[in-house]
Amino acid sequence: MSPLFAFQLRRVARNRQFVFFTVLLPALFTVFLTEIIGGQMAGAAERQDVAASIMVSMMAYGAIGAALGATIRISFDRASGWLRQLRVTPVPQTEVFAVDVVVGVLLTLPSLLVVALVGRFVSGVQLDPGTWLALVAALWAGSSAFVALGILVGLALDEKAAGGAIGILGVVLAALGGLWWPVEMLPGAMRGLAYTLPSYWYAELGRGVVSGGWAIAAVLVLAAYTAGFGALAVLVARRRPLYAVAG
Amino acid sequence: MESAPALEIRGLTVRYGSTVAVDDLSLTIPRGQTVALLGANGAGKSTVVNAVLGLLNPAAGSLQLLGRDPRDAVRAGSVGAMLQHGGLPTEARVGEVIDLVRRSFPTAWPLDDLVVTAGIDGLLGRPVDALSGGQRQRVLLALALAGAPPLLLLDEPTSAMDVEGRRAFWTTMRGLADRGHTVVFATHHLDEADAVADRVVVVAGGRVVADGTTAEVKAGVSGRTISFTAAPDRRLDGIPAVTAVSREGATATLVTADADTTLRALLADGGLPDLEVRGATLEDAVLSLISTRGTTPMGATR
Repeated sequence: MSPLFAFQLRRVARNRQFVFFTVLLPALFTVFLTEIIGGQMAGAAERQDVAASIMVSMMAYGAIGAALGATIRISFDRASGWLRQLRVTPVPQTEVFAVDVVVGVLLTLPSLLVVALVGRFVSGVQLDPGTWLALVAALWAGSSAFVALGILVGLALDEKAAGGAIGILGVVLAALGGLWWPVEMLPGAMRGLAYTLPSYWYAELGRGVVSGGWAIAAVLVLAAYTAGFGALAVLVARRRPLYAVAG
Repeated sequence: MESAPALEIRGLTVRYGSTVAVDDLSLTIPRGQTVALLGANGAGKSTVVNAVLGLLNPAAGSLQLLGRDPRDAVRAGSVGAMLQHGGLPTEARVGEVIDLVRRSFPTAWPLDDLVVTAGIDGLLGRPVDALSGGQRQRVLLALALAGAPPLLLLDEPTSAMDVEGRRAFWTTMRGLADRGHTVVFATHHLDEADAVADRVVVVAGGRVVADGTTAEVKAGVSGRTISFTAAPDRRLDGIPAVTAVSREGATATLVTADADTTLRALLADGGLPDLEVRGATLEDAVLSLISTRGTTPMGATR
C-alpha cells in the first residue's frame, strides 16, 4: 500500500465534519424520514416500499456527499501549498492524483454500508442477500460519477470557490435529484431539470436494483457523466497542474 | 554522471507572458558548494529555483541537476527543496508528514538527527495546523532534508523567521555544507549570503550581474557610484566597467568597478551634468546591483 494512500485516508478519517455529513447525517435522515413518511402508510407492503426507497435515497445522498467531500481536498491541498511541496519529493504526480481518486471512491463505502445497515436493522427493509450485495455494489460503482465531479471542481476552482461549490452542488443534487423528496413532488420545470441530474439517475440505479432489475438508462447516464466529468478533469489538470500555485 | 556538477544552467530564459523573468542565465555549481542567489524581490531568483525543480517550462535553455533533467532528478530523490509557495497539509501531524516524505526518498536522513538538524524537537506529535510561522518553516526545512538529498534548493528559507531564528538557521545551513550537501539558497539579505555562502551569485533583471566568492563579490561591487542627469535617450548600456545601471527620474546611477574607464567612456559620449562620483559602500553597491527597478544589467540591450 502506498504510504501516501494511508496518509490521505488518515487525514480524511480525522475530519469529524466529513464523518458527520457523509455517514451520521444520512443515517439519521433514514431513520426520521422512514418514521415520518412510512408512519403515514397503512399497509406493511407500502411501508416496506417507502422504507426501501428512502434508504436508497439516503445511501445516494451520503455517497454523493462523501465523493464530493473527499475529492474537494485537492483544492485545499493546492491552496496550502502541500501539492507543490509533494511535487518536489520523488512521489510521482500520477500517484498523487490516483490516490485522491481512490480515496474518494473508497470513502463512499462507509456511507453506503452504514445507511444500508440502518435500513435493514432500524427501518426493517427486507431484501435478498444477493440484492443487498448488488445494491451496494451498484451504488458504489455509480459513485464514480460524483468522484469525477468532485475531482473536476477541486482541480478547477480555488479553495473558497471550491468549498462553496461543493456545498451548493451537494444541496442541488440532493434537492432537485429527488433524494430528499420524490421528484414527483417538484413543480414541472424543476422536474424536467431533475431528469438531467446524475443524482436522480444514481437513485434510480439503486431503486432499480431493489425492485429486482437493472436500470439500463441509469447505468448509461451515470457512465456518460463519469466519462464527461473525468475528461474535463483531465483537461483542467493538463492546463493547470496539481503543483500550480493557487490563486 | 558521477562527475556531473550539482547544477548546470545554460542559457535559461523564462517568460511570463511578455515579461522576461529570467534572461539567458547560465550558472554552473560544482558539488559541495554553498551558493547564495542574492537579489531583490522580482529579480528572478524564485523563477530560477522553480525552473531548476521543473516547476515551470523555460522558454529556452537547458538545466541539469547532477547530470539529470529537473523532473528526473526530483523523481530520483537527488534534490530536496524549500519552496516559496510550498506548504504543509492540514489534518496531519508533523511526524506523519515527515515520515511520508522520508519514505518517498531512496535514502532517508536518520530521524533523530533530522529533528536536531532542522530544529523541530518536540514538534513531531504536533498537529500541523497548530504550528507557528517559524515552526512551519523549520518543518519545511525538515521535509527538504528528509531524504538526505545531495542537492538542496532553499527559496528564501528564513522569510518567516525572526532575527534569532534566522541566526540559528544559518548555523544549520553551514552544517549542511560540512556534510557534503550542495546548498543553493535564494535570499535578499546580504548578511545572510555573507554568513552562510561561500559563493554569491547576484541576480538582477533575470541575469547574473555578479558571481564570485563572498570576498570577490564584495571587492567587485565596492567600486564607485557615478550619477548624473541623463537625457531620456542617452544610451547607458555597453559602457565599460559598469556593473549596474539604474535610472530614477532624470538621474542615472551607474556602479562601476573602474571609475576612470567608465568616466572616460561617458565623456566621449556626451556631457555629464550634475556629475557625482562617490565611493560605494558595500551595502550601497549591492543594493544598487540588485535593485531591479529600472536596472539594466551588464551587456543587456534595451
